Amino acid sequence: MAEYRRPSTRGHLLSTCPRTVLRVVLACALAVSMLALSACDGSSASDEVIVNGSTTILPIAEIAAEQFMDENPEISVLVSGVGSSAGIETVTRGSSDIGTSSRDLKTEEETLGLVDTPIAYDAIAVIVNPDNPIRELTTEQVRDIFSGRYTNWSELGGPDLPIGLVNRDEASGTREAFNKIVMGDETFDIGAVILPGTGQARAVVTDAPGAVGYISLGFVNDDVKAIVIDGVVPSEEAVVAGTYPVSRILHCFTMGEPTGLVKQYLDYVLSPAIQDTVVRDAGFIPITAKEAFDG
Amino acid sequence: MADEPMTTSTPSESKSTLKLMSKSMYAKEAALRNLFLLCATAAVAGVALIFLFVGVRGWPIIQDPGLGAFLFGKVWSSSTDQFGILPLVTGTLVITIGALLLGAPLAVGTAVFLSEIASPRVRSVVRPAVELLAGVPSVVYGFFGLIILRPIIANLTGGLGFGPLTAAIILAVMIVPTIATLTEDALGSVVPGIREASYAMGATTWQTIYKVLLPAASVGIIDAIILGMGRAVGETMAVVMVAGNAPQFFQGLGEPVSTLTSQIVIDMSYASGTHRTALFGMAVILFLISMGLVALVRVISNRKKEG
Repeated sequence: MAEYRRPSTRGHLLSTCPRTVLRVVLACALAVSMLALSACDGSSASDEVIVNGSTTILPIAEIAAEQFMDENPEISVLVSGVGSSAGIETVTRGSSDIGTSSRDLKTEEETLGLVDTPIAYDAIAVIVNPDNPIRELTTEQVRDIFSGRYTNWSELGGPDLPIGLVNRDEASGTREAFNKIVMGDETFDIGAVILPGTGQARAVVTDAPGAVGYISLGFVNDDVKAIVIDGVVPSEEAVVAGTYPVSRILHCFTMGEPTGLVKQYLDYVLSPAIQDTVVRDAGFIPITAKEAFDG
Repeated sequence: MADEPMTTSTPSESKSTLKLMSKSMYAKEAALRNLFLLCATAAVAGVALIFLFVGVRGWPIIQDPGLGAFLFGKVWSSSTDQFGILPLVTGTLVITIGALLLGAPLAVGTAVFLSEIASPRVRSVVRPAVELLAGVPSVVYGFFGLIILRPIIANLTGGLGFGPLTAAIILAVMIVPTIATLTEDALGSVVPGIREASYAMGATTWQTIYKVLLPAASVGIIDAIILGMGRAVGETMAVVMVAGNAPQFFQGLGEPVSTLTSQIVIDMSYASGTHRTALFGMAVILFLISMGLVALVRVISNRKKEG
């Protein structure tokens, strides 16, 4: 720009150039600051709800957000999956409106003023081939099967058949839940087959006599047999009653009671439009099932 | 670049040799020349940029956990931050060698049949069929392997049927078109005189193929097999579905293993930090392997020309 102006007279240059430059600089600064404001100030904008957290809940939250926005075009709901802990942290810091979490609050998080809106139950069934005579196992036995301590069903009172472990990939929310609830400090047997999908895991257990795997309770069908764990038959009723051990609750945390748009969105998530379709399709049990059983 | 033809076409006096060509023709020629140059540059730039990007992202693996721990580490476990790729490299190697053992004879046999034995009518059916194999998406191969082949292997080996054997069989079929097409080309480019001389000396078809044609085309066939190997090393989707993806050392033909490519695709959705760096490091290794294979083909082909 300076070079372009050089041919003009010196006095002219001195008098006009700074003013033009100043004007351009000002305009640029204004544009940049507006961009910056609109980028980082999103959460406080009146027509936005920011949902952040568990990748397990991501599919529910996303579909709910899409449908919610279809019905309320003036509101935008931004959903992202960053993990339960990060979700709780961002809602605590105020950079999101709802923190989704597939785990309960830790003791140090309980005093932060977070209010819990449970949205679904996530229960995991341990599945075997229907021809496998094993009906019942304890949580410890399941843990020892998946850590590779047992290698043959005969060690558990079954037929002389090698145990074929079917594990899920580490990105799987089901694996994460199973790991936390069942495995604890034990690690998965490294020799287990790793499959990248619920459908594949179920298909393999369906036709391999010695196979054992785990899938969300909602995806259990007649092709596989769900094992009775610690004497509790895996059923919605047992999950809702809190007796089935391999289950957890999916939460939405807000700072204080949800109000305004946030409440509107959460109410939508809890409505039958989401609970009976999206939540079920994701293999979870609707939180509303509790009322059905209680009532 | 778009401006270039304009500027090069106007000073026509500088290019006196092109006087006979009209200005518009010259502009068109120059535009096309530049267009093709652009195409070639884009391809080269693509390779260079990918390698640069992957290399830069994978570079920190040399500091943490260190090149030795990365290349020769025996444990791949993201939950304990151990990123040794030796089990994955051996898995890739076992599956690739298996695929070549099964696929290369099949493919070379197919090529010999197409080039030397088949009647034109049979050839017109078989050749498109082989070429069609190359067009089948790898996820279809994987699905076929998972649903049809895996239970059969499970019965044979007693496990769940995931493992090097299943993966090698699927890959063997997948590399057939690559090897067969290139081998057929190699057989076709054998000087016709040699073939005719062989028959003229009273050699049978089999003797001609075995003693004359295959040796004469050997360099081309080896090139074909190496390129097929490159395909096998890089194949991902089908392998993910049938290899079992357990990052352990080779335990047997029916025990699950993981490969470099399948581990990348399984881990990339959630990897972060060192884990992610390690995945880029593995991509670099894959890049180097395929560069090595292409270089090998070059060396072998050049030696043939000189010899």
